[in-house]
Amino acid sequence: MMYFLVAALALGCINAIMVLGFNIQYGFTGILNFTYYTFAAIGAYIAAVTTMGPPPQGVGIQVYILQWSLPWPVGLLLGGLVAAAAGLLVVLIAVRRLRSDYLAIVTVSVGYIIWDVIDNYIPLFNGDNGLFAVPHITGSMRLSSLGYAVVMLIVSALCLGVFYLVARRIYHSPFGRVLRAVREDEVVAASFGKNVFQAQVWVFVIGSFMAGVAGGLLIQYIGAWNPNAFLPLETFVLLAALVIGGTANYNGSILGAFLIIEVVDEASRFLPTFGRPDLVGAVRAIVIGVALILVLRFKPGGLLAESRVRLYGRGEAR
Amino acid sequence: MTAAVIAMGAVGLTLQVGVTNFVNFAYGDFVTFGAYVTYAVDNASGSFATGVICGGLATGLLALLCNLVLFRTFVAQKARVITLVIVTVGLSFIVQNAVIVIWGTGAYTYNVTIGNALHLGPLILTPGDLAIIGASVVLLLGLHALLQYTRFGKSLRATSDNADLALACGIDTGRLVNWTWVISGFFAAVAGVALVLETNTLRPTVGFNELFLFFAAVILGGLGRPYGAMLGALIIGLATEIAGMYVDAAYKSAIAFAILVLVLLFRPEGIFATRGKTD
Amino acid sequence: MTTESILEIRDVHFAYGGVRAVDGCSFTVGRQASTGLIGPNGAGKSTLIEVVAGGLRPQSGQVLFEGEDIAGMGRMGIARRGIVRTFQLSRELLHLPVIENVMIAAQDQVGENPMTALFAAPRWRPQETDLLQRADELLAWVGLERLRYAPAGSLSGGQRRLLDIARALMARPKLLLLDEPTAGVYPALVQMIAERLKELPAMGVTLLMVAHNMGFVASVCDDVVVMAQGRMLTRGSLDEVRGNREVVQAYLGG
Repeated sequence: MMYFLVAALALGCINAIMVLGFNIQYGFTGILNFTYYTFAAIGAYIAAVTTMGPPPQGVGIQVYILQWSLPWPVGLLLGGLVAAAAGLLVVLIAVRRLRSDYLAIVTVSVGYIIWDVIDNYIPLFNGDNGLFAVPHITGSMRLSSLGYAVVMLIVSALCLGVFYLVARRIYHSPFGRVLRAVREDEVVAASFGKNVFQAQVWVFVIGSFMAGVAGGLLIQYIGAWNPNAFLPLETFVLLAALVIGGTANYNGSILGAFLIIEVVDEASRFLPTFGRPDLVGAVRAIVIGVALILVLRFKPGGLLAESRVRLYGRGEAR
Repeated sequence: MTAAVIAMGAVGLTLQVGVTNFVNFAYGDFVTFGAYVTYAVDNASGSFATGVICGGLATGLLALLCNLVLFRTFVAQKARVITLVIVTVGLSFIVQNAVIVIWGTGAYTYNVTIGNALHLGPLILTPGDLAIIGASVVLLLGLHALLQYTRFGKSLRATSDNADLALACGIDTGRLVNWTWVISGFFAAVAGVALVLETNTLRPTVGFNELFLFFAAVILGGLGRPYGAMLGALIIGLATEIAGMYVDAAYKSAIAFAILVLVLLFRPEGIFATRGKTD
Repeated sequence: MTTESILEIRDVHFAYGGVRAVDGCSFTVGRQASTGLIGPNGAGKSTLIEVVAGGLRPQSGQVLFEGEDIAGMGRMGIARRGIVRTFQLSRELLHLPVIENVMIAAQDQVGENPMTALFAAPRWRPQETDLLQRADELLAWVGLERLRYAPAGSLSGGQRRLLDIARALMARPKLLLLDEPTAGVYPALVQMIAERLKELPAMGVTLLMVAHNMGFVASVCDDVVVMAQGRMLTRGSLDEVRGNREVVQAYLGG
């Protein structure tokens, strides 16, 4: 029981990082990236293959690139950076001259292409079988699963703390105001000399970086990753957490991540299994779908309304 | 062959997008739903044709219901387009998993026998393929007649071009939107059946997995343009098949999306659009 | 014109498809003058404003601002050169408080990119206090100080016009382009807007304004450009152009 609690908290922190990065893109700036989770996957793969050495013996054959055996924090950072670079590439294709609904289609398409290549090109990340036996960040240290969950909880919570402060400072800075202006009306933002394109590019890169780091943490925790771990559905779950928690509210992202992904997704494993085993997952997803629609209908801003604007020297706007 | 499936799916999607002006991410799950209802009715009645008709009608009704219960209220409160898109994401969760609750996650196949394959040059066609192509041609011609020669079709095209103007001209857009959803659902179901006949497996994700190919065809043809969508489907279908001859077949869909992204870069309004819809 | 010119429109052409909205238009705007741009519907006034503001790229011709050709530079580049505009239909950032709508307009703020936002907070925090104070002053100037924390979406049409003007001035423009600043505004407020606009030349702001309300134009502008069919018909004081037979014909549908 203790183990499940700690594990759920650790996963909750990792998910909260993802939702937070997603919120900077969609909530702060109004860019809806329908393949956000793909950047988490890129981070996960890169973090794994840069920290793993040659494939471990005796657990099955796998092939993958790099095998650099780097220390895990470097792998995490590289995961974030490569995800950010991929994000830069996508945003340069997508934002320059496209309307918002086309942006959705381009992100979806690019996500599909990346997925297809990773799934089929085995030398890259072992194709459809994916990576497994990814070493623990504690190396050869012997820890119980509870002990390792505690370590991962501490690391993830620290990362979440840093990203939370980053998101909060961005929101309350002049840059945050530019992002809100871009979200509300790009033409007005440009008419007051704001660089809309640059703001969108930055936000995409920052969000992708956060997704990449979160993905890296995830693979270092669960030790395995394959293409089934980043189907389009995952982005939709994050979107549900984001919208339900509160669009453009950095506290809401954490609330949403724990509420949707943890309570609905994880806690239901404690429920008695009724009927067929596939029923639990299906009912869970239906609950998420219904909750998403109800929130949009009756509380469109989400459970926590948009963060209040901080007025320096004067508290907050009412 | 693939083109025929995509064409039916894309036409249903583009009609709805043209009239309602938002993309429906639950469309793939409508496709799945139609395929499952067809399966269930086919098993119960023993008649595949009855199955297809019931599947089409049931999915049309489902789409209508979604509009009446969901989309209409959001449109009435002047929700932003992106909000409606997210609503369809929630709907996709619900429909896809309702299918699992009803039919489980196991794979099924239709009890239709498919005869020997015909070899036409490099192409291999089964009688099933021919039936799908034939059926899709008939349905698309039927749609063409509906759009060109009926009052409903003219209203639909007018609304798709300019909703405010159509309303001002006395077109009952509420009723028109309802009927559009019904037709969209019907085409979704038929596309689902064709898809399952082609791939020979019926799973709860069968439609969702194809959704993005439908999107690709719709975008290529220009949003809200049924004829554009048909041509877009033809291009996507042929491109994936031709690409399949030169590269590993697994990359077929990736090629289709690469084409889409390239097209969007140079013609953001689609290949066949004479003028873009402004937002 | 005795004063030096700040803006010169030189033979500008712009067509939407086959419709020639601006068709060889040329005139100059004097520095710190208030110029009214009038003419019948469809004369190309709003299109011309859009061309000057960078929303449209003219097919030919030049737009010289302080001697530099700015035609086709894009909204952002033109705004950064000191040309700020309002829109024919007010475009506020509806979900943001009124005060932020004004603060966003200030040019060259520190902390408008993520690096300075994250790492130069000691530099932008005092700047925020200054911006806040200036925004408050401008809101008080247009009489909206009590609504400064309300979402801009909750304002009435007339209040939005006032917010438009406060926001535009926050950018410290050299040239202010107003597109029908009194459309849909009740008469008492029109009077107030006119009073505010009359103070602009003293603040060093040049005004180019599209308007239909002749009383309003008469009280604000010292110089009027009449456009018809995409080009300048005549210019002068309002009284002068009123007596011009061509102008009367243009308005009566010549």
